[in-house]
Amino acid sequence: MLEVCRLNIHAGETALVEDLSLTLATGRLTCLIGPSGCGKSSVLKWLAGVLAPELRVTGEARLDGVALTLPDRAIAYQPQQDTLFPWLTILENAALGLEIRGSARAVARREVQALFPAFGLAGHEQSFPDQLSGGMRQRAAVLRTLVQKADVMLLDEPFSALDAVTRLAMQDWLLTRLEETPRAVLMVTHDLFEATQIADRVLVMARGPGRIIADIAIPTPRAGRSEAALAETRSALKTLLLEDTR
Amino acid sequence: MVFLRHILPALLLAVAFLVGWEGYVTLSGASPLVLPAPSDVANGLWIERRRIATHAAATIGVATVGFGLSVLFAVVLSVLLHFAGWLRRGLLPLLVASQTVPIVALAPLMVLWFGFGLLPKVLLVILVTFFPMVVSLMAGYATLPRAFRDQLVSMGAGRWQVFRRATLPSARGHFFAGLRISATYAIVATIFAEYAGARRGLGIYILTAKNTFRADLVLSAVVVSALLTLSLLALIQLVDRATGRRFRGARDA
Repeated sequence: MLEVCRLNIHAGETALVEDLSLTLATGRLTCLIGPSGCGKSSVLKWLAGVLAPELRVTGEARLDGVALTLPDRAIAYQPQQDTLFPWLTILENAALGLEIRGSARAVARREVQALFPAFGLAGHEQSFPDQLSGGMRQRAAVLRTLVQKADVMLLDEPFSALDAVTRLAMQDWLLTRLEETPRAVLMVTHDLFEATQIADRVLVMARGPGRIIADIAIPTPRAGRSEAALAETRSALKTLLLEDTR
Repeated sequence: MVFLRHILPALLLAVAFLVGWEGYVTLSGASPLVLPAPSDVANGLWIERRRIATHAAATIGVATVGFGLSVLFAVVLSVLLHFAGWLRRGLLPLLVASQTVPIVALAPLMVLWFGFGLLPKVLLVILVTFFPMVVSLMAGYATLPRAFRDQLVSMGAGRWQVFRRATLPSARGHFFAGLRISATYAIVATIFAEYAGARRGLGIYILTAKNTFRADLVLSAVVVSALLTLSLLALIQLVDRATGRRFRGARDA
């Protein structure tokens, strides 16, 4: 279990994130939603160890009670932007995380290649990113994140650049992958529908300064969620977000 | 298609220029000592081909060693400047200042300090050609998208791994742009170094031809110099194409 304890992020005198605490349990997908500029991405960047050095940070991250020095191997991060390197093949891109974490090149590529069929990428090992569709690129990016065997996965709006149909397919696909290899997942999204559809829990952030204003658990298994119950949750989330923007 | 779009226009303009030049010399009756016609230059080139080839070979040798070392020096220096901020702040103004020293003043001094051997010529070629490459590489390193760096750092990559895996590949286009600029100076710089003092080379050939009032042979050597520069640029283009498949992505797939 990952715990974030009393995280504060300041840019000069301005508080970007204030007194934020959260826990992420293994096998659970937590969505973080909130208006633009509320500090969602900053929280993820801090956990990934890539927050701009000029920002002042206090707070602590603990994994199973042990304090972490960030970046930590226990956490894998997928930024909002498409970060597949255009000069690497899909296989090389997907194996990059393992190689950086110390696996021998051949071992890393063999291990990643074995997962290509499950990720719908078989036959595209030697393709370059700009030869693939948006959905395939996202699958390759998730593969690169997932294969790092980290306890915690941070996904910053992984499906925001996709069309509606591809996005729905990718949500189902991600859940299947996570059932195969359970992790603690923190996913930033702007999409209320996406959040209620796939999350076990939704954290709502408000801005000025960024803080968590609601923690909504969705206990029903995904398959058993009725559209009426989901609509009710979405409506509650919408009210919270609209109140914050007023 | 490539021939029509890129080669034909240059070819037509060159032919028009040479025809105009030949016509002017014929019609004006200009002395061949002052302005030889292109046909005189071609004739001189053919007659002197063996001597020019010997001198050109010497020039190619110096240019190859000088330019090769210059590329190596530029890459190493750019990496040092990239990693050491204090060195970058201290050295970059000095490097800029080094480019303001006129080669006309420096070439004879090099001969004075280092004699007539290979060293002064190689040093001069390095001095003239390394700067555009260093500047291009530094600009290239700065193009690394922040998200690429973040992705690698979050995986646990250190500064050197970020540089090797992302910064260096990102700078490839800039490196080749700088290489092309430097290549256009390499042969000219070699000739100038030879001009200041050498036993063999196109520079000394041009000096001798000028002293014997053989403008046609001076221009013959200039033609060879231009061909050498074009060959060097073609070689760089070839290396770029042969090694750059993965940097051009699907456009060439």
